[in-house]
Amino acid sequence: MTEQVVSFAISSWPPGLVMILAAFAVPWIPHVARQLWMLGAIALSVWGLISTGAGVHVVWQVMGLDLVLYRADNLTFPFALVFHIAAALNVIYSWHDRKWSEHMASLSYAGAAIAAVHAGDLITLFIWWEATAVTSVFLILAAGTQRAQSAAMRYLLFQVLSGVLLLAGAAVIASHSGSITFAQMQFGGPDNVGIWLIFIAFGIKAAFPFLNGWLQDAYPEATATGTVALSAFTTKLAIYALARGFAGTDMLIWIGAAMTALPVFFAVIENDLRRVLAFSLNNQLGFMVVAVGIGTELALNGAVAHAFVHIIYKALLFMSMGAVLHQVGTIKASALGGLYRQMPFTMVCCIIGAMSISAFPLFSGFVAKSLTMSALGDTGLVWVYLVLLFASAGVLEHSGIKIPYFAFFAHESKHETGEAPIGMRVAMGIAAVLCIGIGIFPAPLYAILPYAVDYHPYDASHVTGQLQLLIFAMLAFIFLIRMKLYPPEIPSVVLNSDWFYRRLAPMVGRPVLGLVMRVWNVTVNMITWYRDMAWTAVERMMHAPISGPTIPGRAVMVQALLLALLLLLGYLLVG
Amino acid sequence: MRNKPKPTTKDLQALGRPFTIFMIGVGVVLLVLEFILHRHGEIAAEDFPLFPAIFGFAAFLFIVQVGKWLRMMIMRKEDYYDD
Repeated sequence: MTEQVVSFAISSWPPGLVMILAAFAVPWIPHVARQLWMLGAIALSVWGLISTGAGVHVVWQVMGLDLVLYRADNLTFPFALVFHIAAALNVIYSWHDRKWSEHMASLSYAGAAIAAVHAGDLITLFIWWEATAVTSVFLILAAGTQRAQSAAMRYLLFQVLSGVLLLAGAAVIASHSGSITFAQMQFGGPDNVGIWLIFIAFGIKAAFPFLNGWLQDAYPEATATGTVALSAFTTKLAIYALARGFAGTDMLIWIGAAMTALPVFFAVIENDLRRVLAFSLNNQLGFMVVAVGIGTELALNGAVAHAFVHIIYKALLFMSMGAVLHQVGTIKASALGGLYRQMPFTMVCCIIGAMSISAFPLFSGFVAKSLTMSALGDTGLVWVYLVLLFASAGVLEHSGIKIPYFAFFAHESKHETGEAPIGMRVAMGIAAVLCIGIGIFPAPLYAILPYAVDYHPYDASHVTGQLQLLIFAMLAFIFLIRMKLYPPEIPSVVLNSDWFYRRLAPMVGRPVLGLVMRVWNVTVNMITWYRDMAWTAVERMMHAPISGPTIPGRAVMVQALLLALLLLLGYLLVG
Repeated sequence: MRNKPKPTTKDLQALGRPFTIFMIGVGVVLLVLEFILHRHGEIAAEDFPLFPAIFGFAAFLFIVQVGKWLRMMIMRKEDYYDD
């Protein structure tokens, strides 16, 4: 009986909501008990997710619109599941953190992202879409530096803009069709403007080229634990939304291909290792966007599988770099190196994450990326295929080699430190086991993909082909290092698309604004001058009239003038 | 008196050589396998013998080279954005 009541209550809530509600209690629960409380909330949310299953579960009717708060199907489930895993990893990873503020932000952020995945209409999606923005910004602010504060504001601006565009698009669509259901959308209809608005809204969160500045700008400024949480949700929510709304949109193939290739070059020369990972995150999103653009069953499976494993190995990489930052206090490649001796466990986990993202056989990236590459091969888009193959070598370069090499090897360590706190190590350990586990046994992952899978990544062609690509790219690295041709780490910043609004806009905007202000000032001065002149004339007439007595007060003078004006008007009308 | 090399430096020197030899060994095994196994790719170009190996090696050098050029164009001092 009790169980029935509880399961009824849970099934009438979208998953994730229980986590948001639990987050409100976080400030009042003491440390450690708080971590257990949060894990409990996540477990309850998972239980609700699994026990209710597929279907439309909660619909609210508001002002004649159907708000679908809880819709679950084959596409939502893998995203929801991996979001829960990421949320749990975050709780364990930040076990040492005694302050409540970040815990509250990251639990409610994860909850909002999970609830967003289950939104069946555009308005509900908008609400959770904005909720992820508002909750996550505190993870950046928590870093407490001036840089982080500015980055957080720029981040919030973009996230909220994305939400506003989504809402505007929803309004346009609703005015045309009367329906706000979130389903596959088509360009070119009468509601084309609305579709475009939504496409750009998704594009901002998915970090399309030139809309991606906020990602590399803000993520590396968050706290050691905050970046791990940030890396999981926002962008993958956008991938989910694209897969739901724009599967098979050709444009996405080209956008995605650009996303895979361009960040590769930036990542090579970036000095901040967490920013290297942010570029790498952008590159990984490109693979998923391409897969969504292809839109076949195999490709969509590829996009979802990639998102699933990516969240785990990306979190693992950010966790290992967060551990280094936590222990050493910096994450600049130029200031690191040789940490394998002090942090051997973190080093091993980092390398497992690196091999996963590089898609070495037996690691999770391989079993997911192969799906996308096979789907792309089927389309006959040879150039796009070659771009993605090239980008795969790029992933190996920055995430596979650069991250572990410059943090843990490269040269003598400059820091006296030890291993990260136990919670960090446990979380990294779990993520590492998942990376290898999924790589060796992909069947459970394939079983939860949106479409039935008959795919075998481990055949001789795939394995030897991939190994050739990776091993010979590594040999190129060894060659460059041995010949001392590899570019050294230099303390620096690398300009990215955020330069356009952080530097170009002020550079162009300030002179333009200056000109406008000048014109304004001159105009105001002129008006003041004419007014004063008129006033002086009135004054003179009062005290020295052409004929008759002097006029005692200004009010009388003004009345006399108005009467004269009326008289003139009268003559004109009569005449 | 010269400073003795620190343990990490010694380690790295000791690790570098065997690792290089190991990687070259793996590379050689892959080269041999290429001519024993029948490997086929997703696109026609990939079926060309040693295509992934050559592509991977060249792509890596290209990325690093473009990175060096890019540094000349878009690398700024660390405090570039801090007015």
